[in-house]
Amino acid sequence: MMTTRDIIDALTRTFDLNADVLRDNQIRLKLHKKQVAPVLLYLKNQLGFIHLDHVSCVDWLEENVFELVYIVYRPQDRLTVLVKTKIDRQHPEMENMETFWPHMRTYQRELREMFGIDFPGFEAPKEFILEGWDEMPPMRRDFDTRAYVQRTYTTRPGREDAWSVREYITRRTGEKLPDFVKKYSRD
Amino acid sequence: MSETKDIRIITRPTKEQIRQAQIDFSPRCTAAGRVNDKETQKMVQYILNFARKHSLFLLAYGTGCGAIEIPATLTSRYDAERLGIRGAATPRQADVLMITGYLSTKTLKRVIRVYEQMQDPKYVVAFGSCTINGGMYFDSYNTIKALDRYIPVDVYIAGCMPRPEAVLKGFAKLQELIQNGNAGNGECYRKNLDWYRANQQKVIKNWDFPDEYNW
Ligand code: SF4
Repeated sequence: MMTTRDIIDALTRTFDLNADVLRDNQIRLKLHKKQVAPVLLYLKNQLGFIHLDHVSCVDWLEENVFELVYIVYRPQDRLTVLVKTKIDRQHPEMENMETFWPHMRTYQRELREMFGIDFPGFEAPKEFILEGWDEMPPMRRDFDTRAYVQRTYTTRPGREDAWSVREYITRRTGEKLPDFVKKYSRD
Repeated sequence: MSETKDIRIITRPTKEQIRQAQIDFSPRCTAAGRVNDKETQKMVQYILNFARKHSLFLLAYGTGCGAIEIPATLTSRYDAERLGIRGAATPRQADVLMITGYLSTKTLKRVIRVYEQMQDPKYVVAFGSCTINGGMYFDSYNTIKALDRYIPVDVYIAGCMPRPEAVLKGFAKLQELIQNGNAGNGECYRKNLDWYRANQQKVIKNWDFPDEYNW
């Protein structure tokens, strides 16, 4: 039986890092890019976090970084560790960790296709979900989806007005909309 | 005139005459034959259409979320088989191609291939608002917005998603169109192939279809 305290102790003894507890059973680590692989390996082999839950990427366009989040899980005590790291957005590159967990391959292929993150030495096929995609990776926030759609697809006429459903209903019922709702309005 | 008719009844027909008669009765015959006049053609077409409309073999191409209504339509509660609608295993055995929901460009390529493999007469039923105008994916980078730009569509069923009642209504409409001889766009597709191909190639980037019309 291990608690979040034990995990954090074990980690800080071995590595130079800061950890904070998010919830009863959730720990968050914010690491340098170079630390991620050793910490994940340590979590997996020494501390029993044998399951890789998820890998995702957050696009912080304003700060010009991608934040990668690796979530690992220890089934005995239902403990979760979030390992976060920030990488450069202009030349996104991350360590290839396909040998740690077999399904890391799938996550890495997705990140490579949807965000354009490069994993040196990662030899899985280039195409994953998209086919013949020759634009900017579509999940990046500076990819202009609307413009791409207008350029590529023909749309049926009749949807141009694109009314906000919420406003349409208020117009009919005479209800007054609070200001915070108007912030999300389309006009 | 009447003389020749009598003789024909009395004498045994020669092999040549039997062959000729068979050609004449075949609906494919275009030579001037006795059964090929307008009225008979109309009757033959009527019978053919009647048969077709009561035996629709359905290839459900479950692309989007709407596919979940297909089992409900086909199984005991709504029992589409009482209208002659049932599933087919492969495109070549199917009459109706049913597109249930949004189509990504990747899927569109397969759908076109499937459509081209189907035998004439073939009908397409598009299902859900996604196939009509993009539905809630109207600004998605990866789904097409209007299916009839890429393959001809006979009946659209609106709704997100349409309930089995609406699906059956759509099929009733299709049956009506078939009976009137207004359904089945395979011929139209072949005639306007250039237009369809241009639209298809605009969205399918890695185009590797054969150049010739070869199915
Ligand atoms: S029309 Fe609605 S139910 Fe059908 S595929 Fe689109 S979003 Fe899904």
